[in-house]
Amino acid sequence: METALLLNTSMLLTLTIILTPMFLPLLLKNFQSSPQTLTTTIKTAFLVSLMPTTLFMYSGLDSITSYWEWKFTMNFKIPLSFKMDQYSMLFFPIALFVTWSILQFAMSYMASDPHITKFFSYLTAFLIAMLTLTLANNMFLLFIGWEGVGIMSFLLISWWHGRAEANTAALQAVLYNRIGDIGLIMSMAWLASTLNSWEMQQMFSPMETPTLPLLGLILAATGKSAQFGLHPWLPAAMEGPTPVSALLHSSTMVVAGIFLLIRSHPLLTNNKTALTLCLCLGAMSTLFAATCALTQNDIKKIIAFSTSSQLGLMMVTIGLNLPQLAFLHISTHAFFKAMLFLCSGSIIHSLNGEQDIRKMGGLQKTLPTTTSCLTVGNMALMGTPFLAGFFSKDLIIENLNTSYLNTWALLLTLLATTFTATYSLRMTLLVQAESTRTPTMTPMNENSPQTLNPITRLALGSTVAGLLITSFMTPTQTPPMTMPMLTKTAAIIATTLGLIFALELANMTHTMTHPKQNNLLNFSSTLGYFNILTHRLSSTNLLYTGQKIATHLTDLSWYKKMGPEGLADLQLMASKASTTLHKGLIKAYLSSSALSILVILLSL
Amino acid sequence: MLSLALGTMITITSNHWVTAWAGLEINTLAIIPLISKSHHPRAIEAATKYFLTQATASALMLFSSMTNAWSSGQWDITQLTNPPSCLLLTAAIAIKLGLTPFHFWFPEVLQGSSLTTALLLSTAMKFPPTTILLLTSHSLNPTLLSTMAIMSIALGGWMGLNQTQTRKILAFSSISHLGWMTIIITYNPKLTLLTFYLYSLMTTSIFLSMNSTNTLKLSTLMTSWTKAPMLNTTLMLTLLSLAGLPPLTGFLPKWLIIQELTKQEMTTTATIISMLSLLGLFFYLRLTYCSTITLPPNSSNKMKQWSIKKPVNTLTPTL
Repeated sequence: METALLLNTSMLLTLTIILTPMFLPLLLKNFQSSPQTLTTTIKTAFLVSLMPTTLFMYSGLDSITSYWEWKFTMNFKIPLSFKMDQYSMLFFPIALFVTWSILQFAMSYMASDPHITKFFSYLTAFLIAMLTLTLANNMFLLFIGWEGVGIMSFLLISWWHGRAEANTAALQAVLYNRIGDIGLIMSMAWLASTLNSWEMQQMFSPMETPTLPLLGLILAATGKSAQFGLHPWLPAAMEGPTPVSALLHSSTMVVAGIFLLIRSHPLLTNNKTALTLCLCLGAMSTLFAATCALTQNDIKKIIAFSTSSQLGLMMVTIGLNLPQLAFLHISTHAFFKAMLFLCSGSIIHSLNGEQDIRKMGGLQKTLPTTTSCLTVGNMALMGTPFLAGFFSKDLIIENLNTSYLNTWALLLTLLATTFTATYSLRMTLLVQAESTRTPTMTPMNENSPQTLNPITRLALGSTVAGLLITSFMTPTQTPPMTMPMLTKTAAIIATTLGLIFALELANMTHTMTHPKQNNLLNFSSTLGYFNILTHRLSSTNLLYTGQKIATHLTDLSWYKKMGPEGLADLQLMASKASTTLHKGLIKAYLSSSALSILVILLSL
Repeated sequence: MLSLALGTMITITSNHWVTAWAGLEINTLAIIPLISKSHHPRAIEAATKYFLTQATASALMLFSSMTNAWSSGQWDITQLTNPPSCLLLTAAIAIKLGLTPFHFWFPEVLQGSSLTTALLLSTAMKFPPTTILLLTSHSLNPTLLSTMAIMSIALGGWMGLNQTQTRKILAFSSISHLGWMTIIITYNPKLTLLTFYLYSLMTTSIFLSMNSTNTLKLSTLMTSWTKAPMLNTTLMLTLLSLAGLPPLTGFLPKWLIIQELTKQEMTTTATIISMLSLLGLFFYLRLTYCSTITLPPNSSNKMKQWSIKKPVNTLTPTL
C-alpha cells in the first residue's frame, strides 16, 4: 500500500517540479526564470524521478491514477489518468537525465542569444508535453502530448526565424506531422466508436483487430517518427539550434511515434498485416536513411539520418512483435544520440559555425574530450559489444535472424547495419583523424565545464545504460537463446564489414581523384530524389486540381455544358445531321421508303 | 378544283377498297396541274416528286387491299385482317400523309408550289388518307404507328430548326402535327379527328395570312408588319397556337392526347413527344419573333395595300 502511495506521490512531485518554473512567474510578480533556474529544476526533477523508478524496479508495481473526469457525453467519459508502468517509469529518468544535460550544454551554447530564457522555457514546455504523452493512459491525453510536441518542434526549429530555410524546415515538420495526425485521429475515432472509450486498458482484446485503425496508428508513427514516405522533415529539422536537435530530434520527439505503437501493442499483436507492414516499412526506412547518410557532408545531417535509420530499426522491432525491445532501444538510443549531437554542437562552436566535415580534420589533438566522446557515441551507435547500443541492437538483429518472418526485411536491416558502421567511421575519420583542414584562426577550446560535463555525463550513460536497464527490466517474451554461431555474430560481422569498407574508401581519398558522378552517388546525395519529386509535384497537383474543379468542373461543365449550352449543341447537331439528309434526291427518298417498308414487313 | 372535291368525297364515303383507291387517284391527278401552274422548274420538279411518291403509295395501297382480299375474300375497308396487308397499308398511308420515314417529298413539294396550293396540300390532301386510317385504326399495328409518330415529331422539330423558307417550315410543322395525330389513333380515333380539324384551321389561317403579305422567306416576314399590321398581330397568335401554348386553341389537342396516352400507361411516350414539341416551339417562336415581337419604332416608307385579304379567318384560332 505504501509503495503505491510513494510511487504516485513521487511521480506527482516530479511533475510538479517540472511545472514550477512555468507557472511561478505568472503567480509571483518579481520572480524571473533564468536558464540556471530551469536547469536546476530539471536536475532536481531527475533526481526525484529516480525514486519512483527504483520503487518500480524493486517491487514491479504498476499504477494507474485517475484525477479528474471530463464528462464529455453521458456514456463517453475522458478521465485525466496517468499510467505508470515499465515504459513510463523508465522513460522519465532517462528523458530528464538527457534534458538536464542538454539544458546545461545549452547554457553555454546559446549564451550569446538575447532570448535565451524563452528558449529554455520552450524546451521545458516541450518536455512537459513529451512526458504527458508518455504518462497518458488514454488516447486523449496522448493526443494532447502529441500535438504539444509537434507545436514545440515547430517553434524550436524556426528559432532563428530570420533564416528562410529554418522557416521552410519548420513548415515541413508541421505538415508531415499533420499528415501523420490524420492517421492518429482516424484511429481515435475508430476506438471511440467501437470500444466506446479511449482508455489503454480497453484495448487489451485477444481478438484480431481490423486493419483500418492499425493503419491509422502506423500512419501516425510514420509521420512523427520519420519513416520512409514522411521522412524529409527530419533532416530539414537540423536548421534548429543543436540543443533542439539533441532533445527533440534524437531522443524524445521522434520516438513518440514508436511509443504510440508500443502503447497500442496489444492491438497490433494479432494482426499479421499490420505487423508485416511495420516490418517492411521499418526495414525500408532504415536502409534508405543509411544510404542517404553515406554521402552527406553536414555533420548534423549525418547524425539526423542516423537517427532516422535507428527509428526504422525500432519500427522493425515493433514489426517483430517485441515492444519491450523497441523501448529498450529507445532508451539506449537517447543517450548516445544526444551525446553525438552535443559533441557536434561543441565542434561547430569551436570552429566558429562550420558544419561541413570536409572542412574539419585532426580535431583529436585539439578537442580531445569531445572527440573521444564522439568516438564512444559512434561505437555505441554501431553496436559495439557491451556499450549501450549493443544490448538493444544486437538483440533486435538476433531476433530478426531467428524469426520466421520476411527475409527481405532482414537483408535490408543487415545492410543498413553495415552502412551505419560505414558512415559513422567516415564521420569519425573526417572529423577527428588525419591532418586538419580547418582555417587557422578558430576559437577552439574545451575549457568550459558547462560544455564538457554534460557530454561526459552522457558518455557515462552511453556506456552503462544498456547494462543497467536490461538488468532491471523483466522481459515479457523469452529472448532467443540458441542459434548458430553465424547468426549470433551476424550483427558484428556486418558492422565489421562496414568498418572495412569505410577504411578502404578513406584510403581512396588519399589519391586525390576527382569524384565522378555516378548514379549511386546521385541517388544518395539527393536523398533518393524523394524531396525533389514529391514536394513540388504534390503541391502543384493539389492547386491544379482545385482550380480545375472550381472553374472547369463547376462553372463550365455543370452550369454551362450540362445545362443549356449542352442541350443547344445537341439539338444543333441533330438539326444539321437531318438537314444533310434532305438533299432533294428523289431516288434516295424512294429507295429509303422501299427499305423502310422492307424493314417493317420483316420485323413486324 | 371540282375534281379535288369529287375525289375527296369518293374516298371518304367508300367502304370498298377499289373506290377508295379511285378517289385517291383522282385527288392526285387533280392536284398535279395545280402544283405545276407556275411553270417554274422548281414547281415542275415538285409536281414530279409528288406524282412519283403518291403513285407509289397508291400502288402499295392497292397491293395491300388485294392481298387482304386474297386471304380473306372480301374488300371491306373495315375488315382488314391480314397482318402484312395492315403493315403495307400503314406504310402506304404514311407515304401519302408524309410520316417519317416517308416524309422526304413533303417539304420540297410544298416549297415548289404556291402558297394556296401548299395550303391545299397540307390540309385537304391529308383528309382522305386520314379517313382511311380512321376506318382501319382498329386493325393497325400500334407499335409501328407510335414509332413513326415519334420519329415524325422529332424529325419535324429538328429539321424545322434549320429552315428560312416559310413553306418548308410549315411543311415540317405539318409533319410534326401528323405525328401527334397518328400517335393517338389506335387508342382514341376521335382525338385524331379533333387534332386534324384544329390543325387544318390553324394552318389555313397561317397560309392565308402569309399569302396576303406574300412572305416566302423569314426575311420577308420581318417587314410584313408594314403591309397589314393587324394581320401581323393575329399571325403571331396563330403561330403560338400552332405551337400549342395553353390559353390558345392549339393547346387543346395536345393536352387531350397526353391525357389519353397516360390513361394507356404510355407516360414515357407522352413525355418524349412533349419534349420534342419543344423543338417546334422554338421555330414557331422564331417566326413570331421575326414577325411581331421585334418591331422597329419607325414607320416605313412604302405602305402597300393588298386587295386579297381574309383577315377574319385568323381570329378563329385564337378562340
